[in-house]
Amino acid sequence: MDPRPFTIGRTVLWAYCSATLFFLIAPIVIIAVVSFNDTAYIQFPPPKWSLRWYRNFFESRQWIEPALLSLRVAAIVALAATVLGTLAAIGLVRGRFPGRKALEFFFVSPMVVPSIVLAIGLYLLLAPAKLVATPTALVLAHTVVAAPLVIVIVGAALRTTDPALDLAARSLGASYWRALWHVTLPGILPAIASAAVFAFLTSFDEVILAIFLGGPSATTLPKRMWEGIKYEIDPTLTAVSTLLVLLPVAMMATAEGLRRLLSIRLRQAE
Amino acid sequence: MTPASAAAAPALAARYWRSRPGLLVLFCLAFFAALYLYPLAKLFVWSLYGPKLGLANYERLFTQASPFIAFRNTLDIAVIVTLVCLALGYPIAYLMTTVGPRARAAISLLVLVPFWTSILVRTYAWIVILGKNGIVNQALTDWGVVARPLSLLYNMFGVQVGLSHVLLPFMVFPLYGVMARIDMRLVRAARSLGASPARAFLHVFLPLSLPGVAAGCVLVFVLGVGAYVTPALLGGEGEVTLATLIELMIRDLLDWGFGATLGVMLLTVVGTLFVAFSAALGLDRLTGRG
Amino acid sequence: MSSKFVIGRRKVIKSTGALAALAAVGPFFHVRPALADKGELVVVSWGGSWAKSMREVIFADFEKASGLTVKDDTPPENAKLKAMSDAGNVTWDVLETDLPAIQTMIGNGLLDPMDYSKIDKAKLDKIPKELHSSHAVGNKLYSFNIVYNSKTFPTGRHPKSWAEVWDGKAFPGSRSFAFRGGISPQLEIALLADGVAVDKLYPLDVERAWKSMDRLRPLVKKWYQGHAEAIQLVTSGEIDIANTVGSRGITAKRAGAPIDVEYNQGKLGADYWCVTKGSKNKKAALEFINFALDAKRQAGMVQRDPYGPANADAFNHLTAAEAKDLTTSPENIKRQFWINEDWWGKPGADGKNENQKQKERFAEWMLKKG
Repeated sequence: MDPRPFTIGRTVLWAYCSATLFFLIAPIVIIAVVSFNDTAYIQFPPPKWSLRWYRNFFESRQWIEPALLSLRVAAIVALAATVLGTLAAIGLVRGRFPGRKALEFFFVSPMVVPSIVLAIGLYLLLAPAKLVATPTALVLAHTVVAAPLVIVIVGAALRTTDPALDLAARSLGASYWRALWHVTLPGILPAIASAAVFAFLTSFDEVILAIFLGGPSATTLPKRMWEGIKYEIDPTLTAVSTLLVLLPVAMMATAEGLRRLLSIRLRQAE
Repeated sequence: MTPASAAAAPALAARYWRSRPGLLVLFCLAFFAALYLYPLAKLFVWSLYGPKLGLANYERLFTQASPFIAFRNTLDIAVIVTLVCLALGYPIAYLMTTVGPRARAAISLLVLVPFWTSILVRTYAWIVILGKNGIVNQALTDWGVVARPLSLLYNMFGVQVGLSHVLLPFMVFPLYGVMARIDMRLVRAARSLGASPARAFLHVFLPLSLPGVAAGCVLVFVLGVGAYVTPALLGGEGEVTLATLIELMIRDLLDWGFGATLGVMLLTVVGTLFVAFSAALGLDRLTGRG
Repeated sequence: MSSKFVIGRRKVIKSTGALAALAAVGPFFHVRPALADKGELVVVSWGGSWAKSMREVIFADFEKASGLTVKDDTPPENAKLKAMSDAGNVTWDVLETDLPAIQTMIGNGLLDPMDYSKIDKAKLDKIPKELHSSHAVGNKLYSFNIVYNSKTFPTGRHPKSWAEVWDGKAFPGSRSFAFRGGISPQLEIALLADGVAVDKLYPLDVERAWKSMDRLRPLVKKWYQGHAEAIQLVTSGEIDIANTVGSRGITAKRAGAPIDVEYNQGKLGADYWCVTKGSKNKKAALEFINFALDAKRQAGMVQRDPYGPANADAFNHLTAAEAKDLTTSPENIKRQFWINEDWWGKPGADGKNENQKQKERFAEWMLKKG
């Protein structure tokens, strides 16, 4: 990048963007700050600091059980969505057939279908099967919204890898599936890893499907938070919120590290 | 498509499904058919029972006041939020394309962290900030800007602020995706030919970035139309939207038929926009790959 | 090519192994609800501080005594229960709610008749006969009161009647009333605000009441869905005056929140225990109700949340100061009036009771002008 001369225009741009970035990040910082409050009611800045609400979170069954369920559901969703999505992405990118675009469109469309519409449809489907208010319903529903993300991410990675490599393997006598397993998949492993992380977070943060399809024995952390925001004064919510900010940040950092590590290994392997 | 190729298409498709990549797609297709397409079809069937088979529910869309009010509120929210996100997001994306890699990484981190923060956390934060004894009102009254705390929450303003915050990253990413690929040499060429920075921006950069503007706006608008959590938590009862009206019909009034009809309506609005846009500009832009 | 395809197919089977593994995970989840049918009891109440106290006073001991896990849910709405029942998947066992709502549920065939043989006679004798209903037995007495933020209105200068709550000029500030979540519109209170005498309330002049609600509407900033939400709105200062359950206001006041309660013209009613028709734990459900009606536990509950206990023996376990704070203390009860449960709950000619009709009208009223 060439050095930018100092101009009024750029100063204004920087000031404007700083204000916008402040708007984006300030609410999250504020929640983190008030979570260390010692008072029973939210005050900013906190008159006295403590870890009281974090203790409350970790000691309360009402919070820990939903958190554990969310982790379990998200882990299974990450696995299911990654397998389904990766297979679909390979089929879509490597396959050549009419209607491919339409099929791809269909596969990513759950990303924009309003969750409330999907939730009601799934309720109508799962209720007669007695699956509503069970974790299974949440796993199935979350996989529908997480798989498109995997298709997009893995599909993008596949487009940038060279299909000639697969063809080379094939011409050396490897079967299609051998080529897929030994050549195609390792090439897109970093993308698959980050897709799994995104799928996990999508399920972990999902609210609407969890409210509609969950129940007393299937309460995820977002559903519990939803009830908390509506019905409680308890500042434990601020502590939970802060932990919820840290989780994706930590996972993204891990994913990024993993991606880099895998890319380096791949480059060395080549 | 010529008649010949149209006739060849089914044969081609058949060959594809027998081929191996086709098998891979089938798993996902079967899953989506059962848990995505079928539920939506069920929703449509329910909308036809009101309670007798017919279009009674669809008539209610036009004869009752509530769908109209909800539709108007939904548009009010989605349009304002889209404009706010564009006004805030465009400069951010532009800045990202014109700074060094380190500043760009820092900016994208500041956009990504909120993006991956639970929508509940962000909405809850706005309740803390905009409340009558919230941070904004505290500051305003302490500094003597206002005598009495302002009403910032449980009204249209609260919903629009909260939703703009939630959807802003969805504007920045497609915008940046397009801008990053604009050849800055064109802008420099315009400058060297004597154009002012403003002119070079207006006549060279801006037109090239318009596909990104369209993609970002459609994405934010579509997500804004379907939003449920933010309007439900930051709005009062007066700010009923299509999504919150659906919830009211189904969970409180047990009117599944009409709730399903409203769902079909919402789906139609979102689907039409999405299809029209992908047809015009390609799917790639919407999914952020573009 | 063909031989390769055969190998390919074997690989397909291998790769489907991953999906089979996924399918195997499903049962891992199925097991829990199946276990839950034997080992879990779901008790549904109006939530908030009351549910929290139940966990401390009743659930914890009942879990130890029965070996069951008690889960709670909220709110005990007819709508939610009917949706579960229609789906053939009732996850609730025991409900605690008011009689008009219970009568709606009975009308929809959602409740079992109360099996009084499973409740100790000693307890039943101490619960007033009026609270022995066909499908439900009384648990506590509550009332809808004027609950206000004491920073906005220092106690003494607060609104003391519903007419004053309706008066936005003399008492400027935002109001919150209930909408949805199974709470009926406060038509009696609207009539009192309009000047109807307490002894002339029933049968309610519905049209007059809704006209009075029209006048209230501009003052209401937020319609709440649960009582706990109303208390939160008042304590956070978002709302100055709410029409909600007074006992919850007292609980928050004790915790140090800037909130107080005016009992004058309060609307008294009772919450009852009942058992859902689809419950898979009917025996345990009745054991739980019997357990909860114990005088000591009833006292423990109203010590934390000062409602009125249904079991009169509870007063034996309360100090004079504790008894004075209750919704049903002699001082408080004489300033309040009783809801006419029959007017709200008795089914009309069309099979619907006023509770259902007025709630439907409420939604219409709300959306027409929104």
